[in-house]
Amino acid sequence: MDNDLKTSIKGEILQVKDLPTLPHVLNEVTKLLEDPDASSEAIGKVISTDQVLSAKVLKMVNSPIYGFPGRISSIQHALVLLGFNVVRGIIISTSVFDMMVQAMKGLWEHSLGCATACNIIARRAGFEDPEEYAVAGLLHDLGKVVTAVQLPDLHKTISDTVLAKELTYFQAEKDVMGFGHDRINAWLARHWGLPPNIREAMSRHHTPQLAEFYKPMSCVVHVGDFLVRLFEFGNSGDDQTAYLRPEALIELKFKMTDLDKVMDEMAEQLIEVSDLTF
Amino acid sequence: MTQTLEESLFQRKQTAFLLSPDKAFAEMLQKLWSPDVLEFTVFEKGGNAIEHMFNEPPDLLVVDNRLDDISGQEVANLVKSENVYRQLPVVMCVDPIDVEEPWNWNKIEVDDFLVRPFNPSEVRDRINLTICRAMRALDANPLSKLPGNTSIIQRIQQLIDSSEDFALVYCDLDYFKSYNDKYGFSRGDEVLMMSARLIVNTIRSYQGVQSFVGHVGGDDFVYILPPDLAEKSCQRIIKDFDDIVPHFYDPEDRKRGNITSIDREGVTKVFPLMAISLAVVVNTDGRIKHYGEVSSIAMGLKKKAKEDPKSSYVIDQRKT
Repeated sequence: MDNDLKTSIKGEILQVKDLPTLPHVLNEVTKLLEDPDASSEAIGKVISTDQVLSAKVLKMVNSPIYGFPGRISSIQHALVLLGFNVVRGIIISTSVFDMMVQAMKGLWEHSLGCATACNIIARRAGFEDPEEYAVAGLLHDLGKVVTAVQLPDLHKTISDTVLAKELTYFQAEKDVMGFGHDRINAWLARHWGLPPNIREAMSRHHTPQLAEFYKPMSCVVHVGDFLVRLFEFGNSGDDQTAYLRPEALIELKFKMTDLDKVMDEMAEQLIEVSDLTF
Repeated sequence: MTQTLEESLFQRKQTAFLLSPDKAFAEMLQKLWSPDVLEFTVFEKGGNAIEHMFNEPPDLLVVDNRLDDISGQEVANLVKSENVYRQLPVVMCVDPIDVEEPWNWNKIEVDDFLVRPFNPSEVRDRINLTICRAMRALDANPLSKLPGNTSIIQRIQQLIDSSEDFALVYCDLDYFKSYNDKYGFSRGDEVLMMSARLIVNTIRSYQGVQSFVGHVGGDDFVYILPPDLAEKSCQRIIKDFDDIVPHFYDPEDRKRGNITSIDREGVTKVFPLMAISLAVVVNTDGRIKHYGEVSSIAMGLKKKAKEDPKSSYVIDQRKT
């Protein structure tokens, strides 16, 4: 991997290489890839439950080598264009997360829950391609994974700060590092050539009112993140209540009744999600 | 030496020029291949060879740096600086003292080099490899790197000759030109790369069967599959293409479902989003005898498929 991201945080190097994933997803995809009858839909469905694999697949298909950088934001399309051989390569080079499974599992569940919520919200708001909103939701906390994996000590300091000062993880990141995972997301997404809509939603999900070009997607992820925390599905690093920006609801033309409807649907789907994967 | 053309690595007889005053080397080279496979014409002076080379370019040029009338590098550069000759592979022969200092291979654009003393089996394989590599590079489409016309025709003729059943599918994009006109050629290339990738992956997903994908040029592609898989493959390609291609438009055009572009006469026109047309020619029971028939049937079908502005496929219904 030549295009690793490296940056220094208070003297420590944060670099993106070899992001590991949870064993069960990797096993599942490996199994499907060995099955000659498995469809790309089935494989896409499993990969879409994992933020690290999804990010790797999108990074690869949007790299200049394939000749259409920044165009593909759907996992399904990425699989069609990469082909099973390349996906197999990605799977082989992805390591497993044995060591930190327990510590990180909450974040995985939170991300998957957020993806589910984003899909529902985007549909409700009448947006096209709700799957792409789900991808943005899935990847919205990738920066947290990077810190946790590459700089475990710093991650621990942040987590300790959350408890000691009763902050959100986002506030604690700023307290410890001087900036949050939204910034790490922005670096990652740019560095990996992810499509601009996903990129902006990843870096603006805490401040959707500042989104420049893809405000609707940033707002969907913002609301999705808020709701999945409300459900206490998974854990994104703290148990504080997040702030819901009224601008986001205005952008989506949502009334409180819309939120109710979304939450009803989430309640149904989240049970399925947790049954399926954890 | 006793190898016949059929046993060799080449599809047809290759010709080579050797520019070298070294008689022993010339003799060695001429013994390594049967003249039916690779025939060497030897020139002891470089100057004599140039005109021949420009009139009737060989398939390979071996240049010795020991030439006394013109330097080997000069000959190589003469060939490589002309676009019509630059595909001609050049192998440079040098003495150890020549390569004591590093060479600037950007200035001397040869394809390979051999250092004295020559080891016959190494010379044989280095030259074989150089020719094979040049054939691959020459025919590959520069954008998609897929095999081009020469390989496509060869593959079709091979299948006909071995009387194997096959389906040839001819693909082209509808409204590609208006997309190119509106968004520019580099965005157009993105669509071609996406289409190439989509076709390759769909075809390759059928494992354990004989298949082939080629790029005729521009927005024209072909692929070959066993007849029973042809229809299913068309349906899959159409579905994936129609799903993916809207993402290559700007959000407003995508939403509107069409683009406004100015045609050659300067008239503003509205064009639908791109679609893919597929024409399937099926050859069973050795019905088709020549690749020319395949392409003429395909052209006829293509017109039919193109009548539908949406993505569609047409299968050749003629029976034997």
